[in-house]
Amino acid sequence: MADKEYNPKIVGFLCNWCSYAGADLAGSSKLKMPPAISSIRVMCSSRVDPVLIVTAFLRGADGVLVAGCHPGDCHYEKGNYYARRRFALLRKVMETLDLEPERFRLSWISASEGPRFKEVVTEFTEHIKGLGPNPVKEKTSL
Amino acid sequence: MEEKIGVYVCECGPNIAEKVDIERVLAAVSSIEGVAVAERYKLLCSEEGKKFLKENIEKHGLTHLVVAACSPKQHELTFMNVCEEAGLNPYLFQLANIREQCAWIIEDKDEATEKAIRYVRAAISRVRYHIPLEKKEIEANPDVLVIGAGVAGIEASLLLASRARKVYLVERESSIGGKVKGFAQLFPRMESASALLEPKIKQVVENKNIELMTESEVEQLLGFFGNFVVTVRKKGGEERELNVGAVVVATGLQEFDVSGLPQYGYGKVDNVYTAGEFERMNSPDGPTQGKVLLKDGRAPRSVAIIHCVGRQEKGYCSRVCCLYSLKLAQYLKSKIPEVQVCQFYSDLCLPGKPYQRFYEETKGKGVDFIRAEKVEISEGEGGVAVNYSSESGRLEVRNFDMVILATAMEPAHGSAKLAEILNIGRGVEGFFIEEHEKLGPVSTSLEGIYIAGCAQGPKGISESIVQAEAAAGKILASLVPGRKLEPEVKVSEISEAFCIGCKTCISVCAYNAITFDELRRISVVNEVLCRGCGNCAAACPSGAARHRHFTFRQIYHELMETLR
Repeated sequence: MADKEYNPKIVGFLCNWCSYAGADLAGSSKLKMPPAISSIRVMCSSRVDPVLIVTAFLRGADGVLVAGCHPGDCHYEKGNYYARRRFALLRKVMETLDLEPERFRLSWISASEGPRFKEVVTEFTEHIKGLGPNPVKEKTSL
Repeated sequence: MEEKIGVYVCECGPNIAEKVDIERVLAAVSSIEGVAVAERYKLLCSEEGKKFLKENIEKHGLTHLVVAACSPKQHELTFMNVCEEAGLNPYLFQLANIREQCAWIIEDKDEATEKAIRYVRAAISRVRYHIPLEKKEIEANPDVLVIGAGVAGIEASLLLASRARKVYLVERESSIGGKVKGFAQLFPRMESASALLEPKIKQVVENKNIELMTESEVEQLLGFFGNFVVTVRKKGGEERELNVGAVVVATGLQEFDVSGLPQYGYGKVDNVYTAGEFERMNSPDGPTQGKVLLKDGRAPRSVAIIHCVGRQEKGYCSRVCCLYSLKLAQYLKSKIPEVQVCQFYSDLCLPGKPYQRFYEETKGKGVDFIRAEKVEISEGEGGVAVNYSSESGRLEVRNFDMVILATAMEPAHGSAKLAEILNIGRGVEGFFIEEHEKLGPVSTSLEGIYIAGCAQGPKGISESIVQAEAAAGKILASLVPGRKLEPEVKVSEISEAFCIGCKTCISVCAYNAITFDELRRISVVNEVLCRGCGNCAAACPSGAARHRHFTFRQIYHELMETLR
C-alpha cells in the first residue's frame, strides 16, 4: 500500500434534478474521471444540512463537494440560493473549527453539463490531492 | 423482526460485468450483518430479471432490498414496482448506481470495483434506516379557472368546455376578445379580425360549461393542484369563491408607453401615432369609422412606419411588430393607393412559413424599406421629420405627413400583482415565466397553473392558440373527473415534540406548504403542497423538520459508510 498513490476521500452531494442528471450524462457519455468521489443523491442542494458537511470533515472526508442547479434554474425555485447562503456561512464556521474551507466546494452543474461534471470532479480531486489528507483526522478522536 | 437485506448486483449485460469485478463486490458485502443474500444477475430490469427479483424477495422473506445497477433515474421506479408486487414496501429499497458512476467513468477495473463496493456498502447502510411510506390519494376538482378572455383565454376555455369541464372565465374588462377585438384585419391573410373572433365570442357566451365573469379580477388563490380555492371580485364589490383544480393565466400584453422616449416626438409632434392608435383608426368602429386621416382631416400623402420603438429599452424583440408594420402598410395602400409608405427598420424579423411571402407581397405594393439607426422624430417643414442615421452612417432627414411608431410589447398591467397572488414567477422582462423554456413551455413552477398567449411573452395569434391548446390539453390529461391525485410521498413532516415554533421552515419554503398552528405554537406541513425539496429539514435548528426518505439519519449512514 505504501507505494500506492494517495487516494483522497471525497463526498459529493448532488441534487437530483441538475447535477445528478449531469453526472448521469457524464456516465452515459463514458467520460473518464478519477474514482475518489462518492456521490450521495439529495433532491435539492438546499437539503444539504451544513451539519452533514462538518460531520463529513470530522469523520475524515478530505473534500466535500455540493453540486446543484445553476442560479435561476433550481427545480424548487430558489433552493440553490439558500444553499449558497448557508455555505457562505459554513466556510466561516469551518475556519473557526480549524477546518480548511478550501476542502469544501459548491458548484453549479446542469443536467446537460456532463463534461462540466467531469471537469469539476477531476479538478476538485486534483486540488484535494494537492492539499493532502485532512489534518483533522489526526487531531480528533471522534 | 429480523433484518434480511437482499443485495443484487446487475451485470447490465457487459456494461457493468466487464468494468466491475462483481464477484469481489459480492464477497465484500455478503458478510455484512443483516445481509441475507447477495447475488448477481445478468439483466435485472428485463422481464426475467424482475421475476427473479420478485421471487427472491418472497423466497428469502427479505425486509430490505439493495440493487446495484444503473442510475436511479433509469430504473428506480422499475425496482420499486417489483418490491410492491412482492409485497415489500417500495421505500425499503435502495439503488446503488454502479454503472453511470463506476463502470462507465473509471478506466481501471480495480478502482471501479473498489468504488462500486463503497456504493453498495453505503446503500446497505442507508437502506436499514429506510421507513415504509404509504401512497395517498386525494380528490381532485376537474373545474378550471381561466384568467383573461383574449384569444388565448377564449381558446383554452372552449377546448376545456368541449370536454365537459366547468370553466370560469374571468375578464377584467367589460367585453371579451382582448387585443384582437381592436384589430381591423389580421396578417398575413388580411382577413377581418371580427370574422375570426365574433364566432368564438358567441360560442363562449352560449356555452353552458363556461361561466363568463367580466369586470372581475382574481384577488386570492389558496390551495394546490386539484384543489384551488380562488376569490374573484366583481367591480363594485361582489366577491365570489370558486373551487377549481387548475388555472390558465392568459392575461396578455399591452403596448409599451412610448411617451417616456422623447426622441420619438409622441404627444408633442402632430400626426405621430402608436401602432395601436393607428390600428384603431382603421377599425370600422374606431374614432374615424375606419378612415385614415391627418389631424386636419386630410388623407396623408406620405407615412413613415418606425420599427423597434422601445426594443432597446425593453431588451427584447417583441416578435410581431415587423409583421403588423407590414399589415399597417397594406391598410394604407388599400385605402389610399397613391400614398407613399416608408418602413424604417433596423432588423427585419419574419420567421415562419407565410411571412417571407407576406413581406414580398407588401413590398410589391410599392412600400419602401430603409435600414436606419438612431431614429428621431421632430416637427418638419409642413409635416413630421424623420431624422435617422443611414446604413452608410450618414445623418439624413425625410419629411412625412404621418408617422406610426411600431412600439414594443410589455406585460399587461397588473401582472406583477397577479404573479404574487398566484405565487408564480416572472422573468426579467416581467412576463410570466414558463417552467422550462423548451420542455415546459406552458407550465409554471407551480403545478396546476399554466400560462398561455402573450402573458408568457409577445407572440402572434397562431402561437397564442397553440399555447392555449397545450395548456388545456395538459389540464384535460391530468385532471380527469373521478380520478384521484397521488401527491408526492417523499415530503417533509414536522415533529410536534421537537418544534420550537421559530418559523424558520416557513420562511424558506417556496411553496407556502408550511403554516403555523397558533394553538399548538408549532409549524405544520401541508403534505399536498410540499414538493419534497428538503430545504426546511436543512434549515430547522431543532431537528423537528424531517424530509421523508432523505432524513438526516438516512443520509448520515450513507455518508459514514462512504467515508469508511
